[in-house]
Amino acid sequence: MTEAAVSVWQLRWRRLARDRVALGALSVLVLLYVLCFSAAWIELWLDVTGVDTDLMSRFDPIDARHWLGSDEAGRDEFTRILRGGQISLSIGLFAALGSSFVGTVIGAMAGYFRGRVDMVLMRFTDFMLAMPALPVLIILAAIDLTKLGFSQDFVRSGAAGYWRIVLIVTLLGWTTVARLVRAATLSLVEREFVLAARAQGASSLRILWVHVLPNAVTPIIVATTLRMGGVILTESALSFLGVGIQPPSTSWGSMLTNAQELMASNPLLAVYPGAAILLAVIAINFVGDGLQSAFDPRADPH
Amino acid sequence: MHTVYGMTALLETTNLTVSFGDRAGWFRPAREVLAVRSVSLALQAGEVLAVVGESGSGKTTLARALLGLVPIAAGEVRYDGCDTATMTAPQALAMRRSVQMVFQDPFGSLDPRLPVGAIIAEPLDIHRIGNPASRRARVAELMGLVGLPADAAGRYPHQFSGGQRQRIAFARALAPSPRVIIADEPLSALDVSIQSQMLNMAAELRARLGLAYLIISHDLAAVHHIADRVATMYLGRIVEVSDVDALFTRPAHPYTAALLAAVPRIGAGKWVPGAALGGDIPSPLAPPTGCAFHPRCPAASSLCATATPDMRAIRAGHDVACHHPLGTA
Amino acid sequence: MGRFLLGRITGAGIVLLLKSFVIFALIGLMPGDPLDLMMNANPETTPEQMAHLRAMYGVDLPITQRYWTWLVAALQGDFGYSRIQHRPVLDIIIPALGNTLILTGAAFVLSTTLAVTLGTIAALKRGTWIDRIINLFAFAGISVPSFWLGLLMIYLFAVRLGWLPAGGMPRPEQGYGGMLAHLAMPVMTLVIVETGGLARYARAAMIEVLSQDYIRTARAKGLTDRRMLVRHALRNALIPVLTLVALQLGGLFSGAALTEAMFAWRGMGRLILEAILGNDYNLALVCLMFVTATILIANICADIAYTWLDPRISLGKRRR
Ligand SMILES: Nc1ncnc2c1ncn2[C@@H]1O[C@H](COP(=O)(O)OP(=O)(O)O)[C@@H](O)[C@H]1O
Ligand code: SF4
Ligand SMILES: [Mg+2]
Repeated sequence: MTEAAVSVWQLRWRRLARDRVALGALSVLVLLYVLCFSAAWIELWLDVTGVDTDLMSRFDPIDARHWLGSDEAGRDEFTRILRGGQISLSIGLFAALGSSFVGTVIGAMAGYFRGRVDMVLMRFTDFMLAMPALPVLIILAAIDLTKLGFSQDFVRSGAAGYWRIVLIVTLLGWTTVARLVRAATLSLVEREFVLAARAQGASSLRILWVHVLPNAVTPIIVATTLRMGGVILTESALSFLGVGIQPPSTSWGSMLTNAQELMASNPLLAVYPGAAILLAVIAINFVGDGLQSAFDPRADPH
Repeated sequence: MHTVYGMTALLETTNLTVSFGDRAGWFRPAREVLAVRSVSLALQAGEVLAVVGESGSGKTTLARALLGLVPIAAGEVRYDGCDTATMTAPQALAMRRSVQMVFQDPFGSLDPRLPVGAIIAEPLDIHRIGNPASRRARVAELMGLVGLPADAAGRYPHQFSGGQRQRIAFARALAPSPRVIIADEPLSALDVSIQSQMLNMAAELRARLGLAYLIISHDLAAVHHIADRVATMYLGRIVEVSDVDALFTRPAHPYTAALLAAVPRIGAGKWVPGAALGGDIPSPLAPPTGCAFHPRCPAASSLCATATPDMRAIRAGHDVACHHPLGTA
Repeated sequence: MGRFLLGRITGAGIVLLLKSFVIFALIGLMPGDPLDLMMNANPETTPEQMAHLRAMYGVDLPITQRYWTWLVAALQGDFGYSRIQHRPVLDIIIPALGNTLILTGAAFVLSTTLAVTLGTIAALKRGTWIDRIINLFAFAGISVPSFWLGLLMIYLFAVRLGWLPAGGMPRPEQGYGGMLAHLAMPVMTLVIVETGGLARYARAAMIEVLSQDYIRTARAKGLTDRRMLVRHALRNALIPVLTLVALQLGGLFSGAALTEAMFAWRGMGRLILEAILGNDYNLALVCLMFVTATILIANICADIAYTWLDPRISLGKRRR
């Protein structure tokens, strides 16, 4: 009985903690986030800048101050990577959370209300799924917001560029979660504990919030994690093509656009940002995979 | 003392019919299952009514229809004299508070993500009874009442045995001080030794709290000691209703008699028509004509295959739907 | 079956129609309009000429009317002209389709074969270091940005080693050798990126099959003919894998867009990117419609394949 006296989450955490690969990947990921969001302090400490150009120190070699050298505009490459990471990693987080939120709401409504609601929402999901993703993302990223009535100043601002990417990646990324949540909801509403709540006169909102979603949280968490990796790859591709994050803001993808031109003379400048993307995404995917097996109900002692 | 005519029953159905259907598909016509057919049944305050019948006879559906968990095709359900179809929202909520349900599967009816304390407190939350502190106190009291250990509130359902889980479900049903508990095969998933403990507990609580029970079972022996009255159900219909003693000593419907014959302790040594029940319950998709029991009935006549028998009283407090009730001819 | 297909095709047709409108509207929101671009190209246009052009092109009409005009023409087989290339859209698309088919077809065959092989090995050697290494490679493939991979390859094989052309199409006189040389890097990129997910899927399917009773019984009975065992299991494990493959066919034309762009391969994907980024509205629109239609057809094929391969599922009930 003492062994049994732990919650589901404690069991899951124990299983995850035994998975060395997942734990290693989680540490790498946490470290990446912490480093990137400490960029300003690291710049102070090393007395470098990843933001301002310094034409006197273009293409500096690697040394104690410039851990990865400096780029074509004399900016410190290491801290610039960290600054780019702030954008890439936070977009990954926000857009993945956004997609999960939208997908959860749509999937839960379809699975709970069934019938017409379900049919309309699922046709809509199919509609979204049959989009050639990258071209549509590029169009959405390139849309002229002034044609939608936004002011020039707003459209040119860095924040608009940032949130636009978050928004469009969210808009095209919710379908997987919606399908997972719908499937989970459809089977959960047939379970007797949901009937028990309905017999009490519980509202739909309460049933969804208290009984359905907490029981569907496993696939949601796993899908959100894996989605983060996908978002980071998508953002980097858009920025690389010049329709994502715009200068003076920078992300790992947009750093690669510049580096591409200097490939022949300074290949390392093209290696770092891509390696950062690979590291972040692979860590995320390993964490997602670890969560999936740690949450696998077949491993639960009943 | 049992059926008091002229008085309003606590929970009552008239010609209640529940049908499950699906629309026609591409390769087959629409199907309709009449899971409950024209059932009229009354539960008086404080009494224990058992509904027995083989699996598939519509008992679960009947219980769910009483609580409005499945759509009603025809007939009505009345609580305290009020038709549930025309109740106002506050009336409906009051009924849901007073009529509680215990489900068959103690593993399925408790939310695995909630600690036991939250599960038991759920009716209090939904019906806004008391404040957080009083709810906690009430949960502790209920756990004592059903014999759960005091530290159970913080643990999760998967950490309990089937019997303990059914105690949790029972505590949840008792939480809002109901007048009726509908229990759908509450014991069938439990070991025999635990079954009798649970029965004793249920009987004791009934006496203490003045509860009425509607107990559903496929096992006559299990309800023998606790029921005041027994209704037998076959293919969606109630075929016999009687005081428990009359039913056990003088069953009038051949189906009830067959069920009794299948129970060694009760049936042994008594006169039973034919042997225990042969064959399977027919598909409710295509029920037999006339009396639905006639293909399996040892007493069937040609009339039975064509005419559906109506429910009629053969003595006070003993109704049966059979053309040739036992012990009368 | 016939009605099922009819239903699916009608549904797909409706989706295609809706989508053409959405894409038409979205493209209309992209910066500039065709006439601004014409005017920039020829600064001498007078205001009168402008007004005439605006009327002729119907730029000021509401979006629904412009869409209707476009749709009626398209249904009659007139897909219009490319603004940049001054050629009928279809004349541009057809050679691009051929090029894409060569590239993605080659990558597709290679990556599916490789994925099934690796997945099967990993499943049979579950828990060993071989399994772990295959898993690591699979994850790396899933996680690597394809354009970055392309950049690195170009640097290594074209700039440093000079073994392969940095990109572009082979000239006819270069023959098969030239074709292979030009295909090598883009195909490698696609194979690396696509194999990982499929291999993990194949591994899971294989493990599932291997744990089923009849295989376990066969093993317990001392069925030591490994080859037979594997063949038996493989046939069953292939069902879900092939379904996934069929679904992925939908990305055949647009999925390789970034890779095509990196290696200047004149395929559909690159054409779409160029058309969008170069404001060639009509070309982009027609290309996207074409790609969407392929996705929808691939989805229907995947459903049919799934049903055909797995008799337990009856058509008409969609998988959840
Ligand atoms: N949700 C449902 N949909 C369709 N048929 C149902 C449903 N629930 C029950 N049935 C059918 O109704 C009949 C009675 O079932 P049930 O009420 O569960 O019987 P019991 O509880 O006596 O075993 C059965 O034939 C069953 O198949
Ligand atoms: S009516 Fe006829 S068939 Fe039905 S139970 Fe009575 S005797 Fe048997
Ligand atoms: Mg039942």
